[in-house]
Amino acid sequence: MEKTCAKYTSEDLSRFVDNELPQDKYQTIEKHLSHCPHCSLLYDQYTSISTVFNNHVDQEILKIDPVKLKQNLDQTLKNSQKKSFGNIFEHFGKNIYLKLASIAAILMISLYTFQGGLFSPSGPSAIVKFVDTDFTSVMIIETQKEKHTIIWFSET
Amino acid sequence: MVKFIKTIVILTGIFCFCFFSQPAFAKNRVLTDVKVIHASTSSIHLDPRLKGIVSELRSVFKYTSYRLLKDQSMDLKFNVAGHVNLPGERTLVVLPSDMDGKRIRYQINIKKKDRSIFQTQVLLKNNSSITIGGPQFNDGVLLFNISGSVQ
Repeated sequence: MEKTCAKYTSEDLSRFVDNELPQDKYQTIEKHLSHCPHCSLLYDQYTSISTVFNNHVDQEILKIDPVKLKQNLDQTLKNSQKKSFGNIFEHFGKNIYLKLASIAAILMISLYTFQGGLFSPSGPSAIVKFVDTDFTSVMIIETQKEKHTIIWFSET
Repeated sequence: MVKFIKTIVILTGIFCFCFFSQPAFAKNRVLTDVKVIHASTSSIHLDPRLKGIVSELRSVFKYTSYRLLKDQSMDLKFNVAGHVNLPGERTLVVLPSDMDGKRIRYQINIKKKDRSIFQTQVLLKNNSSITIGGPQFNDGVLLFNISGSVQ
């Protein structure tokens, strides 16, 4: 760090110019500047740089038209919203029938899937709700491989 | 090219609608097929028309012979009974009553000389079958393989 004098660094002075120091340190440096020519010189340099920079920023800000800036922002916002909503249909163009057909297809596929149409119901080939017979021996069997249901009753 | 792709997409949409909307519309006919099988241990025989079902039966029974005595297909409406004459003065009555989800509810009744000897109600998976067996016949037993398919 470049030393301006034995007491303070250039960074201390730079922070002093930018008003970034705590109050007590700020006041100490302020007093010090009045009797230290080295620090005083550096302080002047920093102050002039800061002034030039601030003036330049102010000029640039003045060049910006706030109305135009607002319009640009609004336009950007609108475009991003359009993009997110329009992505789905932008490939289909303006054909309403195409959109309707696609929606109908999606609905039907969903309905069919939820009803279990795309996949056969799992479980046995038949569910036996009840059996009524005079014979005492009735067996309900399910085969291991195909889960084929067999009802067996003995007439004897 | 874009027009061609659009046309293809439209046609696909229409196809999907027609194909997948089928279950949404009411189906009121049930194609019911009854196979009457004689199973015994007196010989070794396999009817080629029973190829699909015999492997399942063999996993459960020890019969060596499976003969197809009768194969009767019936195009039934719901709540309309179909009758199949069986050997030994027996009659099989099958009645598809309604649908329970993807299953067909069948009332099945086996009669002997007009007396009901066996009744059951089953929920049969569409395009699947159930086998009911047990009645004695000619040194063996009778098996009734009932399959159903909604149309």
